[in-house]
Amino acid sequence: MSTEARLRRFSPAQRLFHVTLMLCFAIQSATGLARLFSETPWGQGVGRLFGGYEASLTVHKYVGLCMLALFVAHVLYLLATLRRRGLAAVLGPDSIAPAPADLKQFFQHVGWMLGLTNHPRFDRWGYWEKFDYWAVFWGMAIIGGTGLLLWDPLASSALMPGWGINLALWVHRLEAALAMAHVFLIHFFIGHLRPHSFPMDMAMFEGSVSLEASRGERAAWVERLEQTGALPGALVQPAAPARRLLFLVFGFAVMAFCLYLLVGGLANVTRVTW
Amino acid sequence: MSASRSRRRGLHLLLGLAAVLAAWPGWAGAAEEVTSPISRYREREMSTGFYEEYEVRPRRMLPYVPGGPQARKGVVSASTQVSALVGLGFLSDAHQGIKFYERRTCQECHPEQARSMHATRAKITCRQCHGGEPMASVNHYYSPLNPIRRHAYVCAKCHAGASASFATYVVHEPLPTSLATQKSFPLLFYVFWIMMALAVGTFALFIPHALVWGLREFIHKIKEGRHEH
Ligand code: HEC
Ligand code: HEC
Ligand code: HEC
Repeated sequence: MSTEARLRRFSPAQRLFHVTLMLCFAIQSATGLARLFSETPWGQGVGRLFGGYEASLTVHKYVGLCMLALFVAHVLYLLATLRRRGLAAVLGPDSIAPAPADLKQFFQHVGWMLGLTNHPRFDRWGYWEKFDYWAVFWGMAIIGGTGLLLWDPLASSALMPGWGINLALWVHRLEAALAMAHVFLIHFFIGHLRPHSFPMDMAMFEGSVSLEASRGERAAWVERLEQTGALPGALVQPAAPARRLLFLVFGFAVMAFCLYLLVGGLANVTRVTW
Repeated sequence: MSASRSRRRGLHLLLGLAAVLAAWPGWAGAAEEVTSPISRYREREMSTGFYEEYEVRPRRMLPYVPGGPQARKGVVSASTQVSALVGLGFLSDAHQGIKFYERRTCQECHPEQARSMHATRAKITCRQCHGGEPMASVNHYYSPLNPIRRHAYVCAKCHAGASASFATYVVHEPLPTSLATQKSFPLLFYVFWIMMALAVGTFALFIPHALVWGLREFIHKIKEGRHEH
């Protein structure tokens, strides 16, 4: 292990949110697909992991509830941050809120990919990271909301007409399909497969990134830390090799499971009565 | 000064919201059966099927019209025989006069209805809802599936306490992708395609974005490798 300088990027709370979300998401994908694909041997096989078709729904409901609790906890965390740091938490450069500069950087980044412009000087969060964050946010609201309606159709049809169940189920399915495809294809590609991250970008597990690499990728961020004198305070020790190995194994196990779901799902779409 | 004004504006907003809510058509509420102003049939009640004097006719709450508004008659692509029948959809025996009815399965003549989730997932048979012979048209006055009593006579057999609102669930859900659904269940059609557009838009943008990005980094890496030699 080199003793390169590491720059702190995620707080322990943020890492905890991510890892819990990741586990919940994988379980919800598997149990949801087990229900959707229950007519196919593949779907029945996935269901068996959770105790069958009926039990998959029970698992799906309670893990879904955990996910919503996580969402609520995250919103409280956001409010607490807002209170502590004031409006700067939203408008400042450390904010995950979308800003006009993101659009500009998007075009500049595409220009750079095509060899037309210089690499944009990203600050702490790139536009794709902001998109991922907010995609989860709206996904949680939509999937969680329709999920609550589907929890007990008898009860929810007292709040809305019964045909709302037909709509809720389709919205639930489609938004979930969108979320899974986005995570399993794009999020995994960016986090694992692209040469910068290969075999795995551990920032979200370790909490820190290499200072040297960040100078190139997120020039505006490092420069800002240097100018405000916050840089020395933001440097941390790298994780122990054993921990890094654990992250790697864990990350790959979850990814392999999710890719199994992606491939199996795609291979079986035509066998489901839609 | 400005604080009090914004407070007043907030109050107006709340009042407006309350007015909208009060004027909102009570979808599900209107379909509920009310015995007295205080105690009402609630959804948890195990249905007796005997409602008579308390009955209100549930609104059909139609975002869904089988076959679309124009196609009220003719569920199956009509044969001459069928189109000769008068008052289709209101018959005491929906299959009266239909040849070879006894020799064929429901699915052969009604493939569209066979795709329902009750059949594919729970293996519920047609007769568990539609009953024995003679099988009445859905809208026949005494049909158990008539929306007046569907919840009590049919759904409540398995979904204890089914309310009239619950019974408006569209059991034979039309395919949301099909153009005919735009007429029969427009909400489902538009909800489906809006979600689809969202997905297609996301992937049309981010899949090429990820691939070109990866390629670019790959080329960089090769070039750097060459410089080092
Ligand atoms: C020989 C073909 C055939 C078979 C077999 C058949 N049906 Fe039908 N069914 C028809 C036709 C034709 C109509 C009348 C067409 C219409 O209403 O448009 C009809 C009407 C109906 C209706 C009334 C539709 C309405 O508008 O209310 C129901 C319900 C129904 N069938 C259910 C069934 C079930 C359940 C079975 C299996 C036990 C079955 N059918 C078997 C041809 C068939
Ligand atoms: C869970 C109960 C249930 C089951 C099972 C069921 N139906 Fe129905 N069916 C209904 C209801 C409710 C309607 C009325 C739909 C409406 O009012 O729009 C209906 C309507 C119909 C109609 C009229 C056309 C339409 O689509 O509205 C036909 C034909 C029909 N069913 C055939 C069948 C056949 C064939 C099967 C077996 C494969 C079957 N049904 C199974 C509940 C059921
Ligand atoms: C013979 C028993 C039976 C009858 C009659 C019946 N159902 Fe069901 N219904 C089931 C079963 C079993 C399931 C669970 C299906 C599954 O595996 O998801 C179900 C599920 C449902 C769901 C949940 C769908 C979802 O997306 O979660 C709704 C809504 C529903 N039925 C509505 C109705 C309505 C409306 C009627 C009356 C027209 C009706 N059912 C009549 C057995 C029945």
